[in-house]
Amino acid sequence: MTAHEISEFLAPIRHEFADQRSLILPALRFAQEEQGWLPQGAMAAVAEATGYSQAYVESVASFYDRLYTEPVGRRVISVCTTLSCMLRGSDELLAHVAANIGTNGEGTSADGMFTLQRAECLGACDRAPCLQVDSNDQQGPLTHDAADAIIGALRADGAPTRYDR
Amino acid sequence: MPQLNSVYRHREFQDLLTLTGYERAGGWNGLKATLEMTPDDALYAFHRSGLRGRGGAGFPMGRKASFLPVDSGRPTYVVCNADESEPGTFKDREILDKNPFQLIEGVAIASYGVGCERAYIYVRGEYGHQWDVLLRAIAECRAAGRLGPDAFGPGAPFDITLYRGAGAYICGEETALLESLEGKRGQPRLKPPYPAVAGLYDCPTLINNVETLAALPPIMHRGADWYSAIGPEKSPGTKIFSVSGHVLKPGNYEIVMGETTLRDLIFDLAGGLRDGREFKACWPGGSSVPVLTAEHLDTPLDYESLASAGSFLGSGGCIVMDDSGCIVRASWRLAHFYRHESCGKCTPCREGTGWLEKILGRIVHGDGRLEDLAMLESLFGRISGRTLCALADGAVAPVQSALELFRDDFERVIQQGGSPVPEPMGVINA
Amino acid sequence: MPEHDEAPIIITINGQAVEARKGAMLVDAAKAVGVEIPIFCYEPRLGKPIGACRMCLVEVEGMRGLQTACSTPVAPDMVVNTTSDQVKGAQDGVLELLLANHPLDCPVCDKGGECPLQDRTFQFGPGETRSLEPKNHFPKPLDLSPLVALDRERCIACFRCVRFSEDVAEDGQLTFHERGDHTEIATFSGEPYEGRFTGNTIDLCPVGALTSNPYRFVSRPWDIKNAPSICAGCSVGCNLEITARDGEIKRLTGRPDPNMAVEEGWICDRGRWAFPALTAGDRLLMPEIVDQVGRRQVRIERAVGDAGAILRRSGVRVAFLLGTPVTVEDGFLALELSHLLGDGPVARLGVADDGLGPLRALPGAQMDDMDGADVIVVVGGDPSSQQPVTELRIRKARRNGARVAMVGPRPTALDGNTAEALRTVPGRLGDAIDVVAERLLGSSRAIVLWDECDLATEPDTAAALARLVASTPGARAIELAADVSGPGLRALGIPATGVLEQIEAGAVDVLITVKADPTTGPGGARWAAALNQVNTVIALCTHRSPIVDLAAIAIPVLYGLEEAGTLVSMTGRAQRLRPGAAGPEGAAAAWEVLVGLSHRMGQPLPDRTAAQAFDRLATRFPAFAGLTCTDLGLLGVPIAAGTGGPAAPARQAEGEGLPLVVCTPVFGDATAHRSDALDCVREETHLGLSPTEAGRLGVSGSTHVQVTTPFASVLLPLVEDHRLHEAGAYLVLGDPTSMAATLLPVGRGAVCAAITAPVAQGVGA
Repeated sequence: MTAHEISEFLAPIRHEFADQRSLILPALRFAQEEQGWLPQGAMAAVAEATGYSQAYVESVASFYDRLYTEPVGRRVISVCTTLSCMLRGSDELLAHVAANIGTNGEGTSADGMFTLQRAECLGACDRAPCLQVDSNDQQGPLTHDAADAIIGALRADGAPTRYDR
Repeated sequence: MPQLNSVYRHREFQDLLTLTGYERAGGWNGLKATLEMTPDDALYAFHRSGLRGRGGAGFPMGRKASFLPVDSGRPTYVVCNADESEPGTFKDREILDKNPFQLIEGVAIASYGVGCERAYIYVRGEYGHQWDVLLRAIAECRAAGRLGPDAFGPGAPFDITLYRGAGAYICGEETALLESLEGKRGQPRLKPPYPAVAGLYDCPTLINNVETLAALPPIMHRGADWYSAIGPEKSPGTKIFSVSGHVLKPGNYEIVMGETTLRDLIFDLAGGLRDGREFKACWPGGSSVPVLTAEHLDTPLDYESLASAGSFLGSGGCIVMDDSGCIVRASWRLAHFYRHESCGKCTPCREGTGWLEKILGRIVHGDGRLEDLAMLESLFGRISGRTLCALADGAVAPVQSALELFRDDFERVIQQGGSPVPEPMGVINA
Repeated sequence: MPEHDEAPIIITINGQAVEARKGAMLVDAAKAVGVEIPIFCYEPRLGKPIGACRMCLVEVEGMRGLQTACSTPVAPDMVVNTTSDQVKGAQDGVLELLLANHPLDCPVCDKGGECPLQDRTFQFGPGETRSLEPKNHFPKPLDLSPLVALDRERCIACFRCVRFSEDVAEDGQLTFHERGDHTEIATFSGEPYEGRFTGNTIDLCPVGALTSNPYRFVSRPWDIKNAPSICAGCSVGCNLEITARDGEIKRLTGRPDPNMAVEEGWICDRGRWAFPALTAGDRLLMPEIVDQVGRRQVRIERAVGDAGAILRRSGVRVAFLLGTPVTVEDGFLALELSHLLGDGPVARLGVADDGLGPLRALPGAQMDDMDGADVIVVVGGDPSSQQPVTELRIRKARRNGARVAMVGPRPTALDGNTAEALRTVPGRLGDAIDVVAERLLGSSRAIVLWDECDLATEPDTAAALARLVASTPGARAIELAADVSGPGLRALGIPATGVLEQIEAGAVDVLITVKADPTTGPGGARWAAALNQVNTVIALCTHRSPIVDLAAIAIPVLYGLEEAGTLVSMTGRAQRLRPGAAGPEGAAAAWEVLVGLSHRMGQPLPDRTAAQAFDRLATRFPAFAGLTCTDLGLLGVPIAAGTGGPAAPARQAEGEGLPLVVCTPVFGDATAHRSDALDCVREETHLGLSPTEAGRLGVSGSTHVQVTTPFASVLLPLVEDHRLHEAGAYLVLGDPTSMAATLLPVGRGAVCAAITAPVAQGVGA
């Protein structure tokens, strides 16, 4: 991911913001699409393309849950465990998914296919217990078998061309 | 009890995901009516409708809009808060992916009233699917000239920029949202100045929730008086409640204010509880409000009544727990939420939310002492009302009220050495 | 900025009627009447209040809940309560919450004993913890840099350091990461915090999260004494505070009560950490004489006695050469002694004055006058390297709305976002006069900073610039003076020429040098030859250097933070040095040695203290008229501007080849080299060329080049840098032992140099 690519992405939307600092968040999200997380080089490229310091860019990125400054798996699976989902079995679902992909609770599977993370309310309480794959539509309510099927289908898929976390 | 699909137009009409479909369902008439008024008259209509903010604060929308100075010499902005992240709340999600054009029309109406040429819709980062739907809807509007250089008439431009968050509940707080939109860490600002005077880029800004803005098209089409006549005088109109938790039909329900009670909502619309289960508690307005018990079930759903009952209407995200659940464990889980979401800027929230979670965690896991309850009560007073924004107040409210209303439960959990993991309700009616 | 010319507002604080300025925040209004409202995040020098820490919550009648006093401005009839139960509960609460995760490190924390968190807890907080919970942990300690240590567990997220980095130094390095109670201070991906002002974060930090690595575990507050003084590192004259233990300086910090007219409480990292030079290995500790026995150490009474005997000789012709950091008192006593000895030449080792008169006649400005400037133009020089804190003031002016332009041949740290870079051909600042005129057009509060060295090499440009500024309404000038002593000695009328010429004419028998070694500086070779012509050199000096070996009598003298005396800053501000360290046992203040000599000569001068010397000179020199030492106080006093001086014609650069652009990096000078604390940031002497020019000269890729001027030929490392102008050779001066400064002529005039590949050594060996 180069500063040039990011600049090209930003070019058509620059005029929509009176202060160009606003472009940092869209730039970070765009830069993250390439590898699914933000290595140092990607953040440096965002800094160059937006004209802000690398430290500032990293500071912004590290604030948000869906911008990853450490590597994550090919797919990020979020299981919401806030109250509504907890009341309907989110914790058990989380444990089951963890067992499926071979992590000890939250974490990245050994084969690098999945990162499992607890999430806070995903706005899908009517589908509790639910999970979300990257930023796809929240799926639920899920039995453990249904969750297994989702994971199985993801295993069969190739890597996405762009990562929308 | 009466339901009115004023905001949830898609529950009455098909095919609202295309502009033509939306117009066939009566869409865009609100904006048309607005454009025939002066902006001042539009503002007055907002005011007369009595519409109150639907994001949680319940502040009268028309009054908020009138705070924007007309002669600041700076551009005015409208920002739509689509950062829906309040636990138990998913009402805006359904507007975004089922009735997006009504939101767009509502944003346009508000923008016309305050003289805004470019509005922003800030969508929470996790709503990827909703983002895609909204993006397509905006593109269609632009292609049809509903947004663009002549949107409000020849030479009268209006457009909407979509902005995507990246996962932070605090960005639902209006000044934190503006900070995030400005490309910064989403931490709230000191108020005053308020966004109406110095908001986005220090310019006068009207910032409203999705549901609030989506309520505007029917209001402008059918008239402010039509709206203000619905429901109680101080709390007119319809409100969407998201019901979740231990109910058989979790979902969104748009009800007429004041004419529906909590009991109606939970036991009628949302299908009630499982056989053999008793109602234990509910958090009626999202989780950042005091919890209510069975004795409050006959409270009408409107701002004043819920406040009198000791809670708040808030976002309308009603989380229901039956007697299979443990109030202590639920409080602990909520404490975790607030700790995770605290932005860290101010001391009482940054340190207090962590402390609350640690104490409740000890109690749940069997390491609690009766003295912990007094410690909690002391902490509530040291956190609530002392912070830069209301997140901390939202953290305290459910736990403080739970301790007040269910003290026996807390004492029992402490004495019995913890709270066993309850059997979850799981997937029913899947 | 609050207006000062409006009627005061009356408010009530704790039942007491209080007058306050319009726009004042409650915290300040209360402080002015001795009511303390505790704060952490509030620091007006960092910008608008942010109300983050919540420590300053107070009750304001009529307002719901509690208000942050740091962000609530006074309003007529406001009634404030800072001592009610509710306020006390809030204060206790905030402190209790801060201490919930703050580690109990006091016994091992350098901040202990001078820690605002400790102090506030003692005054306003709980005596015991009620928390049973394990505290949050971070790996520690970490080095943010070799100079600054970071302890994330102690951090209370007060925002001060990150706001300094972002909004004052604008170095874009120190930021927050994560959020909530995982919030931590960090640099980009853990890289070291590099810059010229990083140490100010240590002063700002209200806890022991950011501490000085060189000061780590050195001393406890009850072992130390603090004293206010002035930094003698450059001509800005930052006010600072000395921390001494047992007569030795252990640490320097910004003043707790900053001098807003000079440095605003900020000091540069060189100023902060160069003091180990005072006790460097080459410091002269005892006087040395050369007699029939040879060179040997003696006591100071003996040395001064011997020197006095020499001066008593009838008809002896004595000259004085004053170096740096020579105080005004040193200069005055040299003049007095010279008068007693028949009025021989007295000169300072500095930049010659020719042609700078018109610039010096312009209306002057103090540092804080930049705050309200509409246009700032810097002509020549590089303040970021040579007068570092000036950069912070320029950045502040830009944030306040000033347009800034940097004119000159050197790339500067201000180029880019802060300032327009108007790059000139080396040696031809004059080319930019028209552009400068454009930038000044329409301004009414412009400030022009002009570099003494660069403008001295182009007197015609100096005259043109002076004309331009004089004709711009409201414009004022600040001289970027090359050395600490210059402005003060000029105020005494001491020129930069006269001694060398007289020596070469055979008219000097005895040369007394004060804190000067001309053999290692500009024209060094010529000076060395001249010194051999003099019968006797008596050197009053600080460190061992070639002049000590040339001197018959070498007497160690105190300097800088060791002595009492007066320095005049580049803005013409007379400020008081106060001694913070005892200095070597065998040393004395230079002015005191000169008085001692007068006693030995039988014509004793009356001064017994530096203060007396100052009071006496003030009655004699118009620049200091009407002042006494007491008047200088803690903040100094601007002195009357000197008279101008004639313009001078353009000067030809000496030598053939590329014009030499002299650069003095901030961490390159002698003091920085002597200080082990600055090992990590030390800059070495080298020659800089643009890659194009290096190619043209046939030295591309060489590690070293031979640099030759009519005055010296020196082998220097080569650094290729694309930011450099191709028509110049950039002489980056570092450690004086490299002798690179001898490439320059006496008086630091313009010179060109031939750059060649190094002569091959030992070919075919």
